[in-house]
Amino acid sequence: MTGGLDGPAPEERPTPAGRRTAQGIRVDPEVEAEHEPRRTVISTLVEHEPGVLSDVSGLFSRRQFNIESLTVGPTDDEGRARITLVVEEPDPGIEQIKKQLRKLVPVVSVRELEPDAMRRELALVKVNAMRPDQVAAVAEMYGATTVDASPETATVEITGSDQKIDAAIEAFSQFGIREISRTGTTALARGTTDTARETPPEESAQQTNPQQPHADDD
Amino acid sequence: MDSDPMVALTGQVARDFVGNDAFQETDTTGVTTPVTKDNTFASDPDTVGSDVSEAFALAREGRPGPTLVDLPKDVSNADTDCEPDEPKVPDTYEVQERADPEIVEQAARRIENSSKPALLLGGGVIKGEASEACREFAIEHEIPVITTMPGIGSFPEDHELSMEMAGMHGTGYANMAVTHCDTLIGIGTRFDDRLTGGIETFAPDAELIHVDIDPAEISKNIHADYPLIGDAETVVTQLAEEIETSPQATKWRAQCQQWKSDYSMAYDAPEDRPIQPEFVVEALDEATSDRAIVTTGVGQHQMWACQYWTYTEPRTWVSSHGLGAMGYGLPSAIGARIAADDDQEVVCIDGDGSFLMTLQGLSVAVRENLDITVVVLNNEYIGMVRQWQDAFFEGRHSASEYNWMPEFDKLAEAFGARGFRIDEYDEVADTIEEALSYDGPSVIDAHIDPQANVYPMVPSGGDNGQFALAEDQL
Ligand SMILES: Cc1ncc(C[n+]2csc(CCOP(=O)(O)OP(=O)(O)O)c2C)c(N)n1
Repeated sequence: MTGGLDGPAPEERPTPAGRRTAQGIRVDPEVEAEHEPRRTVISTLVEHEPGVLSDVSGLFSRRQFNIESLTVGPTDDEGRARITLVVEEPDPGIEQIKKQLRKLVPVVSVRELEPDAMRRELALVKVNAMRPDQVAAVAEMYGATTVDASPETATVEITGSDQKIDAAIEAFSQFGIREISRTGTTALARGTTDTARETPPEESAQQTNPQQPHADDD
Repeated sequence: MDSDPMVALTGQVARDFVGNDAFQETDTTGVTTPVTKDNTFASDPDTVGSDVSEAFALAREGRPGPTLVDLPKDVSNADTDCEPDEPKVPDTYEVQERADPEIVEQAARRIENSSKPALLLGGGVIKGEASEACREFAIEHEIPVITTMPGIGSFPEDHELSMEMAGMHGTGYANMAVTHCDTLIGIGTRFDDRLTGGIETFAPDAELIHVDIDPAEISKNIHADYPLIGDAETVVTQLAEEIETSPQATKWRAQCQQWKSDYSMAYDAPEDRPIQPEFVVEALDEATSDRAIVTTGVGQHQMWACQYWTYTEPRTWVSSHGLGAMGYGLPSAIGARIAADDDQEVVCIDGDGSFLMTLQGLSVAVRENLDITVVVLNNEYIGMVRQWQDAFFEGRHSASEYNWMPEFDKLAEAFGARGFRIDEYDEVADTIEEALSYDGPSVIDAHIDPQANVYPMVPSGGDNGQFALAEDQL
């Protein structure tokens, strides 16, 4: 074998004092360094065109981002659709998700919602209706409406947070659940706060020095 | 990953057939989504011109990258009265050119107060035409300069401040400098794992100032203490204007010089062994001008080409970095020849395995009479694989021995190019001279020491400061 070089061997070299975490953050004994995953909602406004949904979902699988749910639907502007994502990642991962989403050309704007944002999910639950009165009682408890009934089955519609839906499903399971279909979470920010919207042209022209490419992003 | 602006125009079956698994149909936009910056299916002859203009604009704007327009046969054959739009990126695509002045100010204070500063120049410096600005900045403030592999050429390697390339096969001195600096100014770099080695031990004492035009690169792999989003040249100019006093780093610079002599790249060339590859690379460098362009395949020869050629100009080093695609050498030499000035030589330093992957390109080079010189560092091995098998798999040479390699000089002649062969040290200089002076494509089959290995080496995920100088240190 040839090709070795001369010089002090590894064990003869000085070593630096510091270290980084696996997330590339310098370990500072004063500061908590490891980031725990947290669940959050990211809302994105996208161009309403073919392929956008697969661009977004492909990005998540390719980069191994942990995604809990994804919903998509039209908005008041027919050229735009909103995709709402629930993700669970440590802080650096959430930052990466937002940046990678912004890089997609058809993505107009991206915003992480505050924890108090309104989140809603809809579920259709089809149960055995041997005891229709009891089914109705449970439905009432969760504010669910019966949308279909047959001699053997009842299908109820429940809207609410995913915790509420989980609880309702748990309660309905006593009757025997035949099938469930859930939409995944959709969300809007509270009050006058914007969820994720288009930058009006005059506003983007006024941006003197946006650190983020989109002015209304967080 | 290499941020190359490239536009692909691909042929598709006629619109009526799409989705039916027609003859030669492929979902091209689907399969290329993960590897393009953006792609479009051209669905209308009236807008196809604008689709193509937009693809050109997007490929170049901001962080460059590949774009693609898929052209159904009936769209490309159709007539239209529409003129394409001027190349323009879509409104949703925004690029930030100037970094936040507050962070620039903080970064400038950090640099002023640093006692061990280092610049790390990546490929973005060259793509962003910021080499000149970085040179001035480094020299003005006497900051040692390390490059990544794509950053080769952004700073002259014969300058005292140059530490050359860091990373897996970087120089020992660059790896010492990157490991021990207290302030690292990374410009246009992705902090790829071949550069960083293990994240835990990468520049562990350094506060990182990271300049990049792509916000998603900031804090992706290494946390940036000073994130500066913007165009490399603009931000370096912002920093230069903000800095009032140069860092006091005399001791650090002396230390860097000391490392340069401690870990010199001087190699052995024993008389009783076949030619050493480093010798051939140095002889080629010697025989060509400073502006000569080097292209490579992927493997050991690529690393020797990085280490033993002294690059002084941007865009003289052309290689497949992020994907490490063997076979890149000859096609990129053809491209470089067409793009380069007439007085720039184009040399492809290739491996025997890599050359075999795309050598049919010689027919193009002969047809167009392109003046390129291919030098195959022929070790009759898939050498880099053999080196890893020796180091990490007890020498089990699985599928890495190629002692049935063709005679590349004769193969070149068969294509109508000139072919040469080198077996001895005393043939090296003359053969190179002759091949370079031939006005057309030539191939030198240089038979080098099959056992030659590339060092220094930081094993995958290892500590850059603990690079091995020989196999027993791995
Ligand atoms: C297309 C492709 N296939 C496989 C590899 C994996 N690989 C990396 S280096 C290498 C060996 C290259 O051999 P050669 O071109 O002869 O160069 P040498 O290392 O001998 O200089 C291989 C197989 C790759 N990088 N690209």
